[in-house]
Amino acid sequence: MITETDLIERTVVIGNELGLHARVATAMVQTMRQHACRVTLVRNGMEVDARSVLGLLLLAATPGSELIIRANGPGSHEAVQQICELLEGDDSDHRR
Amino acid sequence: MIQTIGDKNRSTHGASPMMIPENTMIKGVGVSVGIGIGQVVLLERLSTDICPCRILTTAEVPAEIARFEEAVDSAEKRLNAIKGQIDGNHPLGDHSYILDTHILLLRDKMLYEGTKRAIEQGKQNAEWAISEVMTKITSAFDSIDDEYLKERARDVHFVGERVLRILLGVSSERKMHQLPPNSILVAHDLSPADAAQLKKEHVLAIATDVGGRTSHTAIMSRSLKIPAVTGLEKISPMVQTGDTIIVDGSTGLVILNPDAEMIFRYRQRSDVLRNYHQSLLAFGRLPAVTRDGGRKIQILANIELVDEIEIAVAHGCEGIGLFRTEYLFLGREDLPSEEEQFEAYRAVVDRNKPYPVTIRTLDIGGDKIASSLKMPSETNPAMGLRAIRLCLNLKSVFKTQLRAILRAAHYGNCRMLIPMISCITEIHSTKKILEEVKSELASEGVEHCDSIKLGILVEVPSAVAIADLLAREVDFLSIGTNDLIQYALAIDRLNEHVNYLYDTLHPAVLRLIRQVVNAGQAFGVSVAMCGEMAGDPVNVPILVGLGLDELSMNALSIPLVKKLIRSISYDDCLDLTHQAFQMQSAQEIHELIEKWIFDRFPGDFFLSQQ
Repeated sequence: MITETDLIERTVVIGNELGLHARVATAMVQTMRQHACRVTLVRNGMEVDARSVLGLLLLAATPGSELIIRANGPGSHEAVQQICELLEGDDSDHRR
Repeated sequence: MIQTIGDKNRSTHGASPMMIPENTMIKGVGVSVGIGIGQVVLLERLSTDICPCRILTTAEVPAEIARFEEAVDSAEKRLNAIKGQIDGNHPLGDHSYILDTHILLLRDKMLYEGTKRAIEQGKQNAEWAISEVMTKITSAFDSIDDEYLKERARDVHFVGERVLRILLGVSSERKMHQLPPNSILVAHDLSPADAAQLKKEHVLAIATDVGGRTSHTAIMSRSLKIPAVTGLEKISPMVQTGDTIIVDGSTGLVILNPDAEMIFRYRQRSDVLRNYHQSLLAFGRLPAVTRDGGRKIQILANIELVDEIEIAVAHGCEGIGLFRTEYLFLGREDLPSEEEQFEAYRAVVDRNKPYPVTIRTLDIGGDKIASSLKMPSETNPAMGLRAIRLCLNLKSVFKTQLRAILRAAHYGNCRMLIPMISCITEIHSTKKILEEVKSELASEGVEHCDSIKLGILVEVPSAVAIADLLAREVDFLSIGTNDLIQYALAIDRLNEHVNYLYDTLHPAVLRLIRQVVNAGQAFGVSVAMCGEMAGDPVNVPILVGLGLDELSMNALSIPLVKKLIRSISYDDCLDLTHQAFQMQSAQEIHELIEKWIFDRFPGDFFLSQQ
């Protein structure tokens, strides 16, 4: 059941050198499969579903941009935590 | 070929078979010189132009949705199968995640639910529905301000077309390796994978609807020396496989349905051009010394791809004056590794021994992002975080590149060129990082060059103003005219309303160049020029007169520029330069030089450049 008390909002700055790119977006959608909660990302007034690769890419979240993560529903704390890690993390080791 | 299905309930959109009048000319962008006369091989293209469009009855909707879902299922199976073939040793290796992205895109609600909604509510057939949804999504990507993200529209296309092909019942792989001889390849666009499979022996020319001078098609065709015209907009729906066409990569013209006389004329033109180039090539092997022996200029080539070295060498370059490294970084998701960069730089350094190779460090940002879109009013990327500014900001990326360059420099004559320097601090910061990298390499015991020559690209007017201060800090100066002229004259070359003001012979431009040359001479530092200005014969006598030491240009211009320099005398050039500095406008300077060249060499040097 989705309840009011589960509503979370957190601001995060993109740490990845390439921004919210396909690799991060793909990982995020895959992460969201483990959760039943509703999560959206907001940038410059545009709000998209964290389950949509296209939505995430169209946010055009370049390095250093600020995003708001909104979540409500079961498991939303954990989901937000995982998403923050994906966005803040510098995955340059992964790319080298 | 995709045929629209001749059902009376279906209406087609565009692409009705049409008669093309004889000698129909279409103008595009000539991106690779030469003339091709041959038979069209049309590469299949799928778009809303040629897919069947039909309004469904309410009763048909559920079956159409099921048909769409099945097509997506089948596309997903195929992608999973491809992904299954990739193991750790596959060349795609670490990039295989892109297949995961594509698999997710298939079910992305914008595409999947969006298409189903269009079928259900818009009563559109599946092909029409998905095409329209794809167009909407890709146009949303068009307005993005970031080159990497913008490129993702291609992924949407890749995935959408796969589904579309299944719906239409056509094969999803292009047969690039089975082209008949004398083919002229016509396509909406060529992917890098398509281009990589091209056989030069079979393809006389290429013509595409989209793409500009820096598109993959352009770069690949130049390095393969296949004449090509891009940006023709509507050529692919206008021709069919087997049609005879003429592609003129020098003028950007394509002629459909040519008559015998036209073909004859182009055959002649093609022979003339070939002979002209052949005779010019001989000059490529000679040094660029003025007729009176008064001055020797070193002529180098600008390259972008490792594969371009052979052409540059064949045209007589005496080293590489500008190796742009962006190509290694663009059009991909990840960053090139140190090893990958090292291999690329080393290959170029090795091939040019004993001549120098000037590697420009990463120059991303600015026009490369801004060129293709309207800039939002609050940002101005041409004056933003780009080139060295970006590198100093992304220190780890910069250091990786410096490591690769220093390692490659161990194997030959290599110099490093820093773009967009606008103040002395940037040089100091760069040197500090360079020293850090050297000592890291030394402590790791990695072979590298400890004394690499460092130069800056003088392309910001402030760098010209302090050229005397900068010259003390570096081993050479290289004038990047493309940007310098834009910044100095406050003209965006891509802005059609003002680009008529862009002129390499503007008195201000000549004075800026003189100031840089003077600073270089005062401090014993060589001065090069690597913009397009250096390769245009009209500018050459003045550049010689101004005292530039090196000119670096498109490889194809080298033989002609050498021929010109060998035909003129240094004293004459000094005299011409002196006269030009008395003139008040670019127009007067143009007239002066054109007359000067024409008086000496009537009929030569200006018909060329083709």
